[in-house]
Amino acid sequence: MKFPHFTRKTLCIPYAVFLLFFVIIPMLVILFYAFTDRNMNISLSNFVRFFSDPTKLSTIVYSIVIALITTVICLLIAYPVAYILARSKMKKKFVILMLFVLPMWINFVLRVNAIRELFNLLASLEGMEWLSASNYFKTVFGMVYDFLPFMILPLYTTMLKIDHSLYEASADLGANGVTTFTRVTLPLSMPGIMSGVTMVFLPSMTNYVVSDMLGNAKVTIIGKFIYEYFGTDWHMGSMVALVLLIVVFLSTWLSGGFSSEENVRGANL
Amino acid sequence: MRFRKILGLAIAGAILLPTLPSLGGCAASEEIVLRVYNWEEYIDEGGEGAFIYDELHLEDESYIVNDDFTDWYEETMGEKLDVEGPTVLDDFCLWYEKEYGQPIRVEYSTFGTNEDMYNEIVLGNEYDLLCPSDYMIMKLAAEGRLEKYDESFFNEADPNNYYVRNVSPFIREKFENNAGLEIRTDDEGEPILWRDYAAGYMWGTTGFVYNPEHVTSEDLERLGWEIYTDSLYSGKITAKDNVRDTYFAALGVTYQNELLSLKHRFEQGSLSQADYVYEVTRIFNATDEETVSEVEPVLMAIKNNIYSFETDTGKSDMVKGNVYLNYAWSGDAVYALDLGEDSEDGEGYVELNYYVPEAGSNLWFDGWVMPKGANKQAAQAFVNFMSMPYNAMRNSYYIGYTSVISGENCEMLDYADYLYGYYPEEEFEEGEEYEEAVDYDLTYFFLGENYDESEEPITIPADPVQATCRQLYAQFPPREVIARSAVMDYYDVEANERINELWSRVKAESLDAWAIIVLCVTAVAIVFGVVFIKFGDKIDLLHPKPKKGYRLVKQEEVNDKGA
Repeated sequence: MKFPHFTRKTLCIPYAVFLLFFVIIPMLVILFYAFTDRNMNISLSNFVRFFSDPTKLSTIVYSIVIALITTVICLLIAYPVAYILARSKMKKKFVILMLFVLPMWINFVLRVNAIRELFNLLASLEGMEWLSASNYFKTVFGMVYDFLPFMILPLYTTMLKIDHSLYEASADLGANGVTTFTRVTLPLSMPGIMSGVTMVFLPSMTNYVVSDMLGNAKVTIIGKFIYEYFGTDWHMGSMVALVLLIVVFLSTWLSGGFSSEENVRGANL
Repeated sequence: MRFRKILGLAIAGAILLPTLPSLGGCAASEEIVLRVYNWEEYIDEGGEGAFIYDELHLEDESYIVNDDFTDWYEETMGEKLDVEGPTVLDDFCLWYEKEYGQPIRVEYSTFGTNEDMYNEIVLGNEYDLLCPSDYMIMKLAAEGRLEKYDESFFNEADPNNYYVRNVSPFIREKFENNAGLEIRTDDEGEPILWRDYAAGYMWGTTGFVYNPEHVTSEDLERLGWEIYTDSLYSGKITAKDNVRDTYFAALGVTYQNELLSLKHRFEQGSLSQADYVYEVTRIFNATDEETVSEVEPVLMAIKNNIYSFETDTGKSDMVKGNVYLNYAWSGDAVYALDLGEDSEDGEGYVELNYYVPEAGSNLWFDGWVMPKGANKQAAQAFVNFMSMPYNAMRNSYYIGYTSVISGENCEMLDYADYLYGYYPEEEFEEGEEYEEAVDYDLTYFFLGENYDESEEPITIPADPVQATCRQLYAQFPPREVIARSAVMDYYDVEANERINELWSRVKAESLDAWAIIVLCVTAVAIVFGVVFIKFGDKIDLLHPKPKKGYRLVKQEEVNDKGA
């Protein structure tokens, strides 16, 4: 009995099979459903209906806006944290890092539920009644809370790899703190920013569990639309999913996620 | 080389060996598999909260089926049956094997919405028994996806036909005439009747759970459905996060006056019960364009007035006091009412009430249907087992909904009496003041809606509060509530599209100034960012002063020096 010899080609087979059945074929099915009507005839009616309906476009805009705000807030919180952690010589800094990442290990629905209860409690206090009706605020809060670790981690790993001698060289050559930041730290941490931004921006466009539970389902984002259409009308649901896919593709392309340059330092998509 | 050979054999043997005994085992036991697809938490699951018949001290226990097969269980298994332990599904398997001499296994799975279930069926998942709601039964039947029940299933002479022998005549009447909905025909021109395709399981109404501390019953009666759009309880009321229930409620708001005048005519006697139900059903099932355009602003008003669209957070929001009104199915209402009372130390105790709008509401049924290709024999046996009065009690007690079973000898009356019977003379000490019990009339449920008025009414003594707004009223609605309630039909293809579009318009937000501002700001920021990254070193403003003792040199100078 001869043991099989694994070539590189054969090692790729499991992944290729996975790719075919769980990525390529589903995509084709979505494409097919998006461009057919309920009698399975090829038709552009879903496409026309989608783009002639202001409510769908406004939902996309709102999803993008919510995702943008979430991303910016996440970045503003995560960048200093990652910077300080990466540069500090603290012995126990992994504890602080752990504290940020730890919530990820607790069930997501449980965490969102806990925040919901917290908001309810706050809203029952005097002077805080505005909270119960501010659904957009609560949604964005929940998104930020949920996706913050996804911003911190890539930033931290990228900054950790920045060579300390670069800072020294910059100081030697007469750059002050601001110049060092804008000319050394920021450009070198760009891959981390990009990957953090993609990891926060894209899911917060579709994570309708947060908008349902914290926004009391009065905030509708595009993910919810897809879910609801798939209850009764798969064709329209597929069309919405396809449009979302294109938005995602465009934003990844814009942020340079597809570039295969060396300097991405492994933190990019 | 030799070593490899041995290793290979060993591996092959290890893989093959365990399969050998099972090959032999398979032929001996012909276990049937029954695939049941039901709502989440919609059956007795044993354990805590289960109904134990010892609690029900009835004089005549002869109809309790578990009684004789506890003995049978003890004989065959050699141990006593733990009454608290087994679920109703375990019991079914035992019963089936005893009755039909074949082992059976139930593959039980659950769904969250009718639409989820429908998608599973369309995708080709195979089941033997499903439990959809009224409109979904109609849809599945109209699309030819269902098997009919056998003629023998309706033979009352067979002692094992528990369903037909125990089902409430009221439910049977509803199933006979499709609950007053338009009767469609299939491809061969045969009318599609519920009774051919479905056997009932649970039924109920929809209405408002409310907190009487904040909401008075006068307000409710005055406003009815309009409580949804009235500013009185703005931000303190919830709607269901699905288009069917919320559209239904919006129809109630829009056509409240019309519904009330119909009710008035019915009470005056100028409208027969049949015509009244027909009219109410027509109003609550209108999906034409004109109706949709009339309902749309109402739905918008509802959206702006409510606290949340919810699927199951409403119950806890009610108990915690975040909201005062929650539109709910009757079984969920019972659950919420129980939850409010369910604090032993009295802390957090909330008394909640249930109210069905005067103008009319939704009457719904969930029933067992068999998809094409089902194992009909086992599926019908399952339905029959669930229809034994004791099992109906167990399920009903566990989930809080009302079973369609009334019992051959009105066994469910004992159950209702056990849960809600009110005997003040026994409970109160002599001389203490108490409220008289009222006779709560359930004749319609046990004898059918068109019962002979001269017959003795079937009643239980009830607490007046229970009878008007609490669990009893929710679980066994009085006849007047039934009289003004309509069953929902399914939407045909065009209506479905229309209603979906309406719903997406309602759920979406029109573009506000702040959203556009955020977008513009980000666009500007991105442009600046790109400019900064590409041409940052060419912009003078971005070059801050160097540290003390250093001088800024131009690139050319460096080059010159180097040269």
